[in-house]
Amino acid sequence: VTAATIARVTLRRLARDRTSLFFMIILPVVVIVVVGASVGGFSRFKVAVVNEDSGRLGAGIVSALRHSTAIDLHVFSTADAARTSVRRAETTLAVIIPRTTSADLQSGHPGKVVVLGDRTSSSFEGAFTAVSAAVSNQSARLQAAGFAAQQVGGTVDDHLGEADRAAASTAALQVTTSTIDTVRQVLPEGFSYSAPTMLVLFVFINALAAGAGIIETRQLRIYERMSAAPVRRRTIIAGETLAYLSISLLQSVLIVTIGATLFGVSWGDPIAAAALIMVWALVGTGAGVLSGTLFRTPEQASSIGPALGIGLGMLGGCMWPLEIVSPLMRTVGHITPQSWAVDAWTILLSRKGNLVDLAPQLGVLALFAAALISLATYRLGRRLT
Amino acid sequence: VRTPVAVVIAGKDLRQRFRDRSALVLGFAAPLAIAALMSLAFRGTEQFHFTAGVVNNDHGQMASAFGQVITSKEVKSVMATRSYDTEASARAALKHRSVSAVFVVPSGFSQSAAGAHPESIRVLTSIDLQLAGQVADSIAQSFVTQVNADRLSVATAVTAGASSGRIAELAASASTLRPPLDIVSRPSGSHSLKVISYYAPGMGIFFLLFAIGFTARGYFVERRNGTLERMSAAARPGQIILGKSLAVLVYGSASLGTMALVTSLLFGADWGGPLLATAVGIPMVLSVVALTALVIVLARSERQAEGMASIVTFGLALMGGNFVFLSTAPPLLRKLALFTPNGWALRAYLDLATGPHRWSTIALPVVAMLSFALAVSAITAILLRRSEVSLS
Repeated sequence: VTAATIARVTLRRLARDRTSLFFMIILPVVVIVVVGASVGGFSRFKVAVVNEDSGRLGAGIVSALRHSTAIDLHVFSTADAARTSVRRAETTLAVIIPRTTSADLQSGHPGKVVVLGDRTSSSFEGAFTAVSAAVSNQSARLQAAGFAAQQVGGTVDDHLGEADRAAASTAALQVTTSTIDTVRQVLPEGFSYSAPTMLVLFVFINALAAGAGIIETRQLRIYERMSAAPVRRRTIIAGETLAYLSISLLQSVLIVTIGATLFGVSWGDPIAAAALIMVWALVGTGAGVLSGTLFRTPEQASSIGPALGIGLGMLGGCMWPLEIVSPLMRTVGHITPQSWAVDAWTILLSRKGNLVDLAPQLGVLALFAAALISLATYRLGRRLT
Repeated sequence: VRTPVAVVIAGKDLRQRFRDRSALVLGFAAPLAIAALMSLAFRGTEQFHFTAGVVNNDHGQMASAFGQVITSKEVKSVMATRSYDTEASARAALKHRSVSAVFVVPSGFSQSAAGAHPESIRVLTSIDLQLAGQVADSIAQSFVTQVNADRLSVATAVTAGASSGRIAELAASASTLRPPLDIVSRPSGSHSLKVISYYAPGMGIFFLLFAIGFTARGYFVERRNGTLERMSAAARPGQIILGKSLAVLVYGSASLGTMALVTSLLFGADWGGPLLATAVGIPMVLSVVALTALVIVLARSERQAEGMASIVTFGLALMGGNFVFLSTAPPLLRKLALFTPNGWALRAYLDLATGPHRWSTIALPVVAMLSFALAVSAITAILLRRSEVSLS
């Protein structure tokens, strides 16, 4: 009996387990969709708007808000609905254009735009600044028409056309915004964030949960029967390690394929990506075999394993980008192998890195893999005696 | 007085549960650890504030007016500024993230602002700091817009017939104008949502769902080793199911209750107060009880029960929003969440954490969860009768 035969038996047993297949294939895909759809929107403020004004001014303000590059506008029909969306943090603030806005201006009073929000909440001030800038644009033409009316007589409406003509012929002061870099230091949003991070998360979680297989084999005394075959201890360990490596690699390939074909994720330099997948699969292998020797019952491995994997994933930047957490937590996160793997994917996907650029991360991950596999084989060896 | 059989069975199940390390880890340790992790991760990040570099190559009147705007009281709450002598040093600071955006006021800016070809204020941003870049751009835009409004006022007056000889007088008059649109900021009447107030119930409920798995599995283990057969000698099937349901109810309530208590006291999570939090928690636990019974009736073996429970647990957690903050997700995902009891529970806890602590806030979610539990129980009863599953 060779290590390959033992690996084949372990894999065949796993393939018959429909739950494992759910965790290996369906769950990662669903998570990629949900996380990919939710992790985004960090680059624009979500703003609710309710236009109660039937005049031209209301429509003009809505249009100005819609054209602002800093605003992702959501139109609501009632102030209550907009207020609820702010309360539930679906939008940062709500802009209410009252019914009397146009009429107030007609009668020479200042119009009013109400902004509802919590000033202490994150990003309120930023969103408020963006709304103010958009509203001020509308304000400018009204101010000009009003000023002309004051100087030469007539109403605001009489001079709006002249204001527009003057605006077209007067060179305006501009703000030009440019980006100094073209290469991202963090993962892009959407599926390009969720696919690589979920690969990191699930390969590890599945490996931990799959540790249940080793415990079951131990409980069924299959290792003892193998030893009677006689098969050397080293062969059994190699066989199990090979099986776990194959599982991890298979799942990685699946996620990469699904990510590329269904979600259009570009996985970067193929050689560097392959190296990263291989090293991460080795980390998963070590964690999986170790889980098989650490937990006492298969239930412990398949229930505590995922909880542990989720915790490490959160620390390591799989559930949200480490850029948005505090610097202390960013440092703490780097005690997990997950954070190094996510860093490596960032270099690959955002900075178009190659094998050389990835060397430090691959080195650290290789050390994690070596430590985990050594510990796992040592413990498995002891369990077999 | 004899203790009811169902209570005896529940007591036995609970003793077993609390002796099992996995149940203790999943019901208590893991959700608390993960909630603590989330609380730590987002501590101090709930405010958006950044520093912008300023390169003033002009030093004229208009440049100093711009300087006043970007250091004004209103802007300070979102942005601080740091001056740089050269654009190169400011760019380097932006590259190294010492600042999150840079304003460059070009030489000759003030002089050109009065003429026909005004110079632009430049804003430099980084691809990874888009939000700060957008805010910096908006701040500069709001200054420029006011200047342009004044320039446009003069031009419009001249177009409308004012004498072009009065331009200086008109400009002076326009600079005192008040914008015709007031932006009034009012509180929305809600509390700001703390990350922990969403994820504490989120994680508590996620780990509560694991009870489906180990209870269903436990049932098949008991059937295999004959415990169930011995029990049915002394109890009716209904009493056994009731006892087991009671055990899940007590375990689930203890797990969720501990989570609520610890996260409220240690991390300041707002569950809406003990009464309302319990009123939301109980129907959620009842839904878990109903789902457990359904899995037991549907499954044929220990492995099947385990598999089905895992799928139900992760499926519900993903759909209901236990993993990701659904408020940032597309509306479709938010609607899908309302097909799950945990989605309704999280909606109720979110509303309690951000709005008034009123019974009316949780009425609809509680009714929805109870309806879910009833519907699942009815399906279970029908399946049970149809397949004539015998407990013995």
